[in-house]
Amino acid sequence: MEVDRELVEAAQAGDRWALEELVRRTHRSVYTCALRLVGNPDDAADVTQDVYLRVVRKLGGFRHEASFSTWLNRVTTNVAMSTLKRRTRRFAVEGAAVPADTRDPAPEPAERAEAVALARRLEALVAELPEGQRQVLVLRDVYGQSTEEVANAMGLTPGAVKVRLFRARERLKATLEATEGGQVVALAGRRRATGRRS
Amino acid sequence: MTACHAIRPLLPARVDELTLPEVRTRAEHVAACTRCAAEAAAYTRLGQALSAMAGFEVDPADGTLERILVAIGRRSVVTGPRVLAAAGASGALVATVVVARAVRHRRQVRHRQLLRSILRRPRVGRFHLPSLPAPTPALARAK
Repeated sequence: MEVDRELVEAAQAGDRWALEELVRRTHRSVYTCALRLVGNPDDAADVTQDVYLRVVRKLGGFRHEASFSTWLNRVTTNVAMSTLKRRTRRFAVEGAAVPADTRDPAPEPAERAEAVALARRLEALVAELPEGQRQVLVLRDVYGQSTEEVANAMGLTPGAVKVRLFRARERLKATLEATEGGQVVALAGRRRATGRRS
Repeated sequence: MTACHAIRPLLPARVDELTLPEVRTRAEHVAACTRCAAEAAAYTRLGQALSAMAGFEVDPADGTLERILVAIGRRSVVTGPRVLAAAGASGALVATVVVARAVRHRRQVRHRQLLRSILRRPRVGRFHLPSLPAPTPALARAK
């Protein structure tokens, strides 16, 4: 998800069209992040809406020190964590967090199919992790936040984050090896080597 | 060489999650142990795969985008830098007026208190004539 600086600045200046365009371009990414954190589609949709309400309030204060995507991810994390503190999970993770439609940014048909399959499998396996482990893994390994940022967002110590990360990675790797013989990990490594698109 | 069981907790970690001695110990062990090297490589590939997931997006349910647009449409206009600056300036003006009035009120109160204290203060150090007794009727007649 890359967003033009001009579009963000226009939205900051009060351009209603620019703000709506910003939402159109980013809402899938925000929804996906929210879904990975909260674990069910209904809560993720609510979180997505709350994220944009907060964006409307805070966009004027955004100073372009980080990229808009990074800033939006932080807002999403904070809103998702606040939501989780308020609510108990209504659905089991199984069957709920597996995306109905996973968008694949890969250009070639063969790579596209491979990447879609990989994303589906990884999404499903990550969704099956215990909530606390899944959240630290998503924030740290999927969205690249630092251990300290994850700790702040989740109200944990950096040490506790590292413990959860260790358990999540170990569990995920064991599951992959048990179900796929490690092939998913190998495919992911190959796809990563060919470069990423947003 | 460090034993495998001592290295295992370090294998899933990223380099920036380890201390410098831990990084060195892990690297030395992995260079000499094929089994732990394979483990470390698997964790690296897993990390790369997870990182690649950030590029994938999931479509929300139909109507989610429209709901968001309606919700943000109800909100007031985006608080842009100019709006923020204007709000900040008016806030500062209000704050200045409030503080100025408070200071003035406090000065008036202090002034009043000072006047009262001066009026009530016993006159120490001044010469006072002893109060004379009221004239007796005989003295009044003699005058």
